Amino acid sequence: MKTFIVIPCYNEAEHLAKVIAAVKPYGQVVLVDDGSTDQSFNIAKNCGVIVLRHLVNRGMGAALETGDSYAFKHGADVVVHFDADGQHLAEEIPRVIEPISQGKVDVVLGSRFLDPGNNVPFLKKLLILKPAILFQNLLLGVKLTDAHNGFRALSYAALSKIKITQDEFAHATEIIELIKAHNLRYQEVPVTVKYHEFGQGFSTGLKILKDLFFGKINR
Amino acid sequence: MNYLPLQIIVSLFVLLVIFRLSRKFKDSILKTSEFIGWLVIWAVVLVAFWLPNTASYLALLVGIGRGVDLAVYSAILIIFYLIFRLYLKHDKQQQQITKIIRHLALKEEDEKKPQ
Repeated sequence: MKTFIVIPCYNEAEHLAKVIAAVKPYGQVVLVDDGSTDQSFNIAKNCGVIVLRHLVNRGMGAALETGDSYAFKHGADVVVHFDADGQHLAEEIPRVIEPISQGKVDVVLGSRFLDPGNNVPFLKKLLILKPAILFQNLLLGVKLTDAHNGFRALSYAALSKIKITQDEFAHATEIIELIKAHNLRYQEVPVTVKYHEFGQGFSTGLKILKDLFFGKINR
Repeated sequence: MNYLPLQIIVSLFVLLVIFRLSRKFKDSILKTSEFIGWLVIWAVVLVAFWLPNTASYLALLVGIGRGVDLAVYSAILIIFYLIFRLYLKHDKQQQQITKIIRHLALKEEDEKKPQ
């Protein structure tokens, strides 16, 4: 299994070296530096992984798509999306790609709510995540237990279908939408999410709604 | 009522705009359809200022009391429409920028390979 681990990164110099070292044993790391203004790019280069650089910041969705395009071009069997801020656990990568390597599904989505050990901050859960999950499930007609979790895996077949056009955070909803549109087989797998900070706040949530709305009109 | 000073100021302004539009049209910056569209809009402004009764007549026709109100309502509608169009255009340009940035990122990596 040719596994590519795509890590979008924007000003993550603090955690980056540790994150790369942790995921390296699990596949070919493709780090997409999304126009960072700190030392992220140099740190990544020194780690001896493939580093793609966006000259200017284009957003997380754009960075993921750049990494996906690279992996697709280089014949990846499976691509793992992994956050650069150290909130995911590298040792869970085998668990996330397992359903794909067994040929059961095309897409695996990490869910922080399937793992009872996760301490999701109460306010974030109540005000942001739960409404987002409800919105996503109602809008797209899916039954998922999590939304906007950056830990996921795509098979080559899924990669050929899923082209992210939402440059920023709305990409997470777009991916689910494309899974549905192309009738890809998918499954959720429990993953751990460690919280360093509040992450995406309420205003990001509103921006995602706006991006989704205009993304629909502007095809 | 004496509208004269305002009418002259507005007319001069409209003339200036039309002059600039025609220059842009000559330099092929504006398409014929766009040029005509803008001419019509500014002609309407001229008519509204020189023959205020026309606006009042049209206003009554669509059920609005005064000509001035009709002008304000239509102006707001047009402005919202233009903002909407601008927004979509902006969004499209953002997508194009992303495409270029992605292309450059992938090209840079590919060019490194042979060494």
